[in-house]
Amino acid sequence: MEKILQVKDLELSFNTFGGEVKAIRGVNFDLYKGETLAIVGESGSGKSVTTKSIMRLLPENSAEFKNGEILFGGRDLTKLSDKEMQKIRGKDISMIFQDPMTSLNPTMPIGRQITEPILKHQKISKAEAKKVAIDLLRLVGMPKPELRMKQYPHQFSGGQRQRIVIAISLACNPQILIADEPTTALDVTIQAQILELMKDLQKKIDTSIIFITHDLGVVANVADRVAVMYGGKIVEIGTVDEIFYNPQHPYTWGLLSSMPSLDTSDAKLYAIPGTPPDLLAPPKGDAFALRSEYALQIDMEQNPPFFKVSDTHYAATWLLHPDAPQVEPPATVVERMKKFPGSRYYEGGAVYNGR
Amino acid sequence: MADKLLEIKNLKQHFNVGKANEVKAVDDISFDIYRGETLGLVGESGCGKSTTGRSIIRLYDATSGDVFFEGENVHGKKSKKDLKKFNRKMQMIFQDPYASLNPRMKVMDIIAEGIDIHGLAKNAADRKKMVFDLLETVGLNKEHANRYPHEFSGGQRQRLGIARALAVDPDFIIADEPISALDVSIQAQVVNLLKELQEEKGLTYLFIAHDLSMVKYISDRIGVMYFGKLVELAPAEDLYNNPMHPYTQSLLSAIPLPDPNYERNRVRKSYDPATHNYTEADNVQMREITPGHFVQCSEKEFESLKAASAVR
Repeated sequence: MEKILQVKDLELSFNTFGGEVKAIRGVNFDLYKGETLAIVGESGSGKSVTTKSIMRLLPENSAEFKNGEILFGGRDLTKLSDKEMQKIRGKDISMIFQDPMTSLNPTMPIGRQITEPILKHQKISKAEAKKVAIDLLRLVGMPKPELRMKQYPHQFSGGQRQRIVIAISLACNPQILIADEPTTALDVTIQAQILELMKDLQKKIDTSIIFITHDLGVVANVADRVAVMYGGKIVEIGTVDEIFYNPQHPYTWGLLSSMPSLDTSDAKLYAIPGTPPDLLAPPKGDAFALRSEYALQIDMEQNPPFFKVSDTHYAATWLLHPDAPQVEPPATVVERMKKFPGSRYYEGGAVYNGR
Repeated sequence: MADKLLEIKNLKQHFNVGKANEVKAVDDISFDIYRGETLGLVGESGCGKSTTGRSIIRLYDATSGDVFFEGENVHGKKSKKDLKKFNRKMQMIFQDPYASLNPRMKVMDIIAEGIDIHGLAKNAADRKKMVFDLLETVGLNKEHANRYPHEFSGGQRQRLGIARALAVDPDFIIADEPISALDVSIQAQVVNLLKELQEEKGLTYLFIAHDLSMVKYISDRIGVMYFGKLVELAPAEDLYNNPMHPYTQSLLSAIPLPDPNYERNRVRKSYDPATHNYTEADNVQMREITPGHFVQCSEKEFESLKAASAVR
């Protein structure tokens, strides 16, 4: 598969009054054409900062690239000038933000907001742009698009506004679409509609999606691959089945067992103890070690490298080192592993074939 | 379980009454809450679930209807003294832990506010001790008492909100989306804390949320609201295994679960209220289909639901 975006050893810090906040501490991943990569993690894990650094939307006076590169179309995005970046933003890479209430301009009819990127990036007339905009609205399932073009954001519901935001982001057929918690502010029923819409559109225009969320249910629904972030690093990356049915990192175990499934009994819910690390002074070894009951001595001293689980599945935990003791994951995770061929708990039956 | 702590009867909460933009936020709902249970209330935003909670605790004056707390009418005319007594028994935890704590007050004073109003502490030392104990109960420590809210993380703030609600030793707590602003890993901590406190102190909860998997986990019974009306009320297991109202079915089919294989095969149902084809004569109301399982339906639907559940 064709790699469309490569993030290599990315390190980024914010200079604040309190000192240097190491928000991203060495992130590596590739994005393939036409796939959906979900990035999960709790707030402060660096998932939004990673994507905002791809878009170069971070404040230049405090955010600083320390190391690494972001390769897109043979160019390193970290080194481009503002002018060059403006040609890419909204055209080749576009973004959907979390809050549809604030990402639209309340003083502008939505028609103008949709034609804006089209007129900016493509050499076509206003009348043609309007036609494109109406088609886009129809594409995202908006009834009576001709009439609605003249209306203002406050005349739409939350779900409709998010559809408009999606229409704007798709206006120039981007190669990469970054969706930063696009459904968090929406109801489950509306969320389901928006997710279906995004999957449909992806098939139609063959764009790659980076999907940021902390809702593992949504991840299971949309993702082809999943990257789990913690403390400014990716701690585990793999296909959606590998992450959900054969997770290797204790943090992934914690995340998966802290969500009640619909058949969770009355037993106590597993809660990851403690709070995320302070990135002003990141811990020396594995950032998750202090909250993990599976931490080894070496976790406190040395940062674990990525260990290969399969060709597509990597996890940064010393537990995968040949000399590490074999540990028993939490019961709910073992239950999941029983369904995955290749895991040591596999019990036969249900074999998953990717999409 | 038979002991009713709270009875809500024909509660209506309309806004802008008499104007063109009248909103029937809560439209004639009735239910009971039993002592020691957790009743979950779910529905999409704008369906009136928060308004229901707020009307029960008298943050709004109800348009009509009654709320009986231990047999006493909450919404009847009451003296300040009576109200104060009642306020002590019923407390609320709010959704947004960032907006619900006064940023200019120290934690000590935030938590002790209720203690002061009700005169529960004998002296300053007693007050201090009560606050320290409360902080410990919710998993914080006494050093936190001298800090301001901005010095805490979201999960910690929600713990402060819980400590504040517990300060006056209530019987009944309304938790309005207490975890939706928190991270997944922190959500579990707060939910576990709420459950522990319930066991320890015999609290009764009204748990309002839109995260259905969490609601199912914490609730004994669940009510589903749609456009100001309660459409289904049933024991948690029953509601999930055998949802009867089409809206509940559509809501359940929309929840994404952390299981890729389930997600691939998920069939989403959509709900269109027009399919009921209710007429004036249908007498749509809550009817008990199986013991404890109430559904809003017409007489005709009642018969068919009843027949369908007899087969099961």
